[in-house]
Amino acid sequence: MDDLLVVRDLTKNFGGLAAVSEVSFEVRRGEILGLIGPNGAGKTTLFNLISGLLVSNRGSIMLEGEDLTKKPPYKRSAMGVGRTFQVVRPFDMTVLENVMVPIFAHYKTSKEAKEKAFEILEMVKLDKMADKMPANLTLAQRKRIEVARALATKPKLLLLDEVLAGLNPTEVAENLPLIRQVRDSGVTILFIEHLMDAMMAISERVLVMDQGALIACGTPDEVTSDQCVITAYLGEEAPGC
Amino acid sequence: MRNNKLKTAATIFLLGLLAVPLYFTSTFVLHMFTLVFFYIALTAAWNIPAFGGKFSLGHAAFFGLGGYTAAILYVKLGISPFIGVVAGTFVAMVGGVILSFPLIRLKGPFFTLSSIAFAEVLRMVAVDWRALTNGSVGINIPFKPSWLNLTFTSGAPFYYMALGLALLVIGLAWWIRSSSLGYHLRAAAADEDAARALGINTAKAHFLGLMWSSGLTGMIAVFYVFYNYVLEPGTAFSMDLFSLQPAMNGIIGGMGTVWGPVIGAIIMTPLGEFLRFYLGTIQQGLNFVVYGLMLIAVVNFVPGGIVSLIEPWFKKKKSGDSSAADN
Repeated sequence: MDDLLVVRDLTKNFGGLAAVSEVSFEVRRGEILGLIGPNGAGKTTLFNLISGLLVSNRGSIMLEGEDLTKKPPYKRSAMGVGRTFQVVRPFDMTVLENVMVPIFAHYKTSKEAKEKAFEILEMVKLDKMADKMPANLTLAQRKRIEVARALATKPKLLLLDEVLAGLNPTEVAENLPLIRQVRDSGVTILFIEHLMDAMMAISERVLVMDQGALIACGTPDEVTSDQCVITAYLGEEAPGC
Repeated sequence: MRNNKLKTAATIFLLGLLAVPLYFTSTFVLHMFTLVFFYIALTAAWNIPAFGGKFSLGHAAFFGLGGYTAAILYVKLGISPFIGVVAGTFVAMVGGVILSFPLIRLKGPFFTLSSIAFAEVLRMVAVDWRALTNGSVGINIPFKPSWLNLTFTSGAPFYYMALGLALLVIGLAWWIRSSSLGYHLRAAAADEDAARALGINTAKAHFLGLMWSSGLTGMIAVFYVFYNYVLEPGTAFSMDLFSLQPAMNGIIGGMGTVWGPVIGAIIMTPLGEFLRFYLGTIQQGLNFVVYGLMLIAVVNFVPGGIVSLIEPWFKKKKSGDSSAADN
């Protein structure tokens, strides 16, 4: 299998607490890989480590054979790691300008950046909102700005942090196909989600974290029948975990 | 159409400004205009790091470095202030490089605090390094009128130079704000982590912003010092005049916007002079009480500054052409 991202023994301690502890996994090129786990399992910390907002205490992160472990966030972005944030905080400028910000890394003039940004907005169906301020948009639309902004960095790997959380069922149904569409355009996706139905519907494989450690990995069916996963979620004592 | 009307109005306004020295021979009127232009330039320069959310209270450092460099070169070595402008700009930028260490590493008020300390340290150096600066006595620019000496018998040349500086810095600020650097700074101001994850080297953006700001402040200082003939540590590195005043103008006009500093300087400069004249003589410091009250009022009721009150009206007028306009 062709691995895009290889993570080995990744560990991050906050004082005495191991937020992420000896996590190893790989992301295959072109897949949609889900990441689930109870609150506080270390999912977002793992995203922060991969995108470079936090630096790990131990372990390594390789993207297409290149070592990312010590690189600053802006270099990781240039190498192809894009991400969205759980709490959407769009920049205080128009929707179009929000998407133009990362594009300036690739295009020098405003005009080129504007054209490129508009293409991305069309893809996420926000082109009609281009001149609006993000504060006037719905949460579902603001989450799409996050995705558009991340896509503007031309990522090879896109880390989506709860892009469906807080949306009503209609909005979920609208945003879900977007994730597939992004993958079909050639971007590999690793995403955190609490909405199990949505998660199981679109991911090919699922990683499960609990208390900083990776406890299971497999197809949605394998994972949901895994005793350790059931224990992590329901808190029952299961033999062999 | 509306845009054209606006352009015509701006052109007429500028031509009017050019004619002021021809009709007003009163030195007071001319001086007031000149001072307003200087403060527009200083505030617009101060405002560049504020695009990125960085709030400096130490710009007197760059002002003093620029002014002292040109004055020392001229008085001690006889080097023309026109070369002094280049040297002053450069030395102020070196000051900017030094202040960039806390700028990049410290967040929020901690950068502001270190900027105050930076200017104060330089002021004390200027007091104590007598061999170079004449200490507290200061440096007098000898009155030898000539273009080369940047010394004139009338106020008109400085009026035009200050106007030119104000237009130059406004133009540069506008250009920076709509360039990639401006977008990167504004993104960093809104959410530093998101900006970094989107591939922006925010440290570099803040650094470049400070370079522009410090260099321009040093350059303006050279003209200001030659306009005043004299500089001493207490005024050249003055917290009131060149650290707080641009910041006040910026907050009241609208920090991080292009036109906020202009509006702030136009309102606050004459008001400041007036208050110092009338209230400052009744009881020293009374003028600052009024300043304080104004600042509290603006921060509480119009956090975006006066520009945020004018902007919606302005945008409505321009809504005919919906090309994403910003200021």
